[in-house]
Amino acid sequence: MNDLAQLHKDANVGSIFVYTHEAHPGENFSHLTSMEQKQSHAHALRDELEVTRPILLDSLDGACHRAYGSMPNMTWIFTRAGIPVYKSDWTDCKSVANAIEYFLDGVKRRKDGMRLAPFRVERLDFRTQDREAFYKGLERNGPKAVEEFKAAFGS
Amino acid sequence: MTDPDLVSRYNYDEFTPEKFIPWMKFDASPPLGEGAPDFPLWDLEGNETSMGACWSENLYTIVEFGSFT
Repeated sequence: MNDLAQLHKDANVGSIFVYTHEAHPGENFSHLTSMEQKQSHAHALRDELEVTRPILLDSLDGACHRAYGSMPNMTWIFTRAGIPVYKSDWTDCKSVANAIEYFLDGVKRRKDGMRLAPFRVERLDFRTQDREAFYKGLERNGPKAVEEFKAAFGS
Repeated sequence: MTDPDLVSRYNYDEFTPEKFIPWMKFDASPPLGEGAPDFPLWDLEGNETSMGACWSENLYTIVEFGSFT
């Protein structure tokens, strides 16, 4: 997603990361109880997980996150006027890239004189499942995060 | 005023179905093609901005939601 942000920034496509609650709290990164703690965790997201896009914190009660469906890692695309034109309940870079490329092509088609009207489409996309990497992430959060995920979904 | 019970429920302290499933409400999220709600956001230095300030700066704005964990 960092690379995608870089790829299209000159086409006036912005990219931000909104920091929500902790999806899998553990001993090393516990559930949030203050904005100061949230800021600290967001710094770790930037420095340890190397998110290079601007990271912006939602309020502690997750008002923004909740309004948009409160999934752990979803992605939305908005127009300049604040109209959502893409929403996904998980994040897959190829899916987002595909959408942005389609929208930018629409801009080009309009500039070429084509008249376009919006319509809704539903699609079932795919995200990669790297269980090993996912469990490494849970281990980084702390043993509690690993145990609770296993208890919820099995190993 | 922030509801303290909401804060603790939203920031659940353990990943159990009773605590995380209530927040999975994507089907109730705002529809595409219609004006979306705006909310304040804060950068890593604590400076306030908003969703609206972000999307108004670009032709398109990609917004990924997530956390360290």
